[in-house]
Amino acid sequence: MRRYLAAYRVCLRIAVRQATTYRASFVLSSLIALAANLAFPLVTVLIYGSGAGFPGWTADEVLLIQAVFTLSTGLSGMVLGAVVWVTTLRVREGTLEVVLLKPLRPLPFIVLTTVQPESAGVGLGGAVLMGWAASRSVHGLTAAGVLAFLGLFVAGLCVMAGVALIMAATSFRWVGNARLPEIADSVHAFGRHPLRVFPGAVQGAVTFVVPVAMVGFYPASALLGREAAGMWPAAAMCVAFLAGGVWLYHRQIRNYQGVGG
Amino acid sequence: MARQGMRGWTRGWAVLRAVSVVTYKEWAAYRTHSLVSAFVGPVYFVVQYFIWTAVYADAGTLHGLELTQMIRYFGAATLIGYLTMDFADWNLSMLVRTGRYLTFALRPVHHRSFAFAQKVGHRTLGFAFEFVPCLAIFVLLFRVDMRPAAIGWLVVTLALAFLMGFLVRYCLGLTSFWLVEAGGLQGVFALLSGLFSGALIPLVFFPHWLQVAQFFLPFQYMVYVPAMVFTGTYSLGSIAMSVPQVVGCQAGAVVVMYALSEVLYRAAMRRFTDAGS
Repeated sequence: MRRYLAAYRVCLRIAVRQATTYRASFVLSSLIALAANLAFPLVTVLIYGSGAGFPGWTADEVLLIQAVFTLSTGLSGMVLGAVVWVTTLRVREGTLEVVLLKPLRPLPFIVLTTVQPESAGVGLGGAVLMGWAASRSVHGLTAAGVLAFLGLFVAGLCVMAGVALIMAATSFRWVGNARLPEIADSVHAFGRHPLRVFPGAVQGAVTFVVPVAMVGFYPASALLGREAAGMWPAAAMCVAFLAGGVWLYHRQIRNYQGVGG
Repeated sequence: MARQGMRGWTRGWAVLRAVSVVTYKEWAAYRTHSLVSAFVGPVYFVVQYFIWTAVYADAGTLHGLELTQMIRYFGAATLIGYLTMDFADWNLSMLVRTGRYLTFALRPVHHRSFAFAQKVGHRTLGFAFEFVPCLAIFVLLFRVDMRPAAIGWLVVTLALAFLMGFLVRYCLGLTSFWLVEAGGLQGVFALLSGLFSGALIPLVFFPHWLQVAQFFLPFQYMVYVPAMVFTGTYSLGSIAMSVPQVVGCQAGAVVVMYALSEVLYRAAMRRFTDAGS
């Protein structure tokens, strides 16, 4: 573990130095990534601005869900944002054996060496929006509410990581498909809105099968003091989901074939 | 003179056909990748369907759009994206950055025509592997009424949207002759295009001044106009137009964009230098 932490420290330092070398590119790509992630909150503002809305939810409450989702996207993007395309690229080019020969396990090695500081802007933007939306929608915040939020938020991060790993694992079978992240993005779309707008079957699927509702909806509900049924069993599912993603990734590495990198 | 013109058209058609067929074959090797759209498109559509069904629970119409019209709008917007998707900017930027543009500068074909033919080939594949499967899912599985209000005008507006998307992207690509690395500009454009093309939400939801501004920007002519022509009505910035009127506006915008691309292309060629490739 100490070896991994030392390696992570070095990789993080390299990533930050790279980012500061190309400062303009770093700032611009961070801003673009942030703005792209704020498109959904903008749609919410436009819907509520037209006098409509999601029944039972105020604009600030929906924005809180989307802010939590954006924060989670930023944090998971920093750590795992490049795993899918790096794996896809290495499998397509036949250079994964270079990773397999390293004195670290392949998945942690790829995670360590592909830190994406650009996603910090997304996380920061999400945090600011969350603070703003929470200040307008959260009344009577309790310590239990904060703890529940933190627990569910971590569970949501597990889901983001699990989805990324499943997509990366798929690239061992569906070789060279640069569009795999689009599949993940489309599934994430369910997690950006109040769960109750979807029918029961979809609610169940995005809570227990591919639990993307845990990324934004459940943590925000905890902050708002809205206990949602199935919250904690779903959180346990998220950990299982991540474990499944890790298992699948390692399992699919066995299918890799190369001729020397 | 007439014979010369005819010969030019015949040659142009032969080039278009040859390049588009080769591009089709090249990308057909990865045809299963296109099938990602058969999952992604319907998933996004389902999300939009439930969101708007909830939003319309307490409202009969929003900005003049009924729920069924809104669902048809999003179905059309998704399918239009598959017909008009473009990456001419990325291709041209890559050629300029790597110095490979030189080989095109030496060919007896205008690079814009070559790039356009590539798009025709690529989108023919998109038609077969993205548009048709998604249309089938929308109609057969989701039971969405995807019959256009006026098929003739829809074909015209789609052709214009196809051209507009290409010309805008090509102009973006041309900026690489000055910027070399135009990735930032392309990112900004993708963002603005995502917001103001109408793919995320119909433009009538934006503030009035932003709606009016769209008449002078290229974005609405790529998705919003064809999607509204599909539904049979058009209104933006408190200006309601008949379908022929708005398609006429779209045609005018395409002509302007073509002229801009020609001006930029000539300026880029004056600037272009290379040392062999």
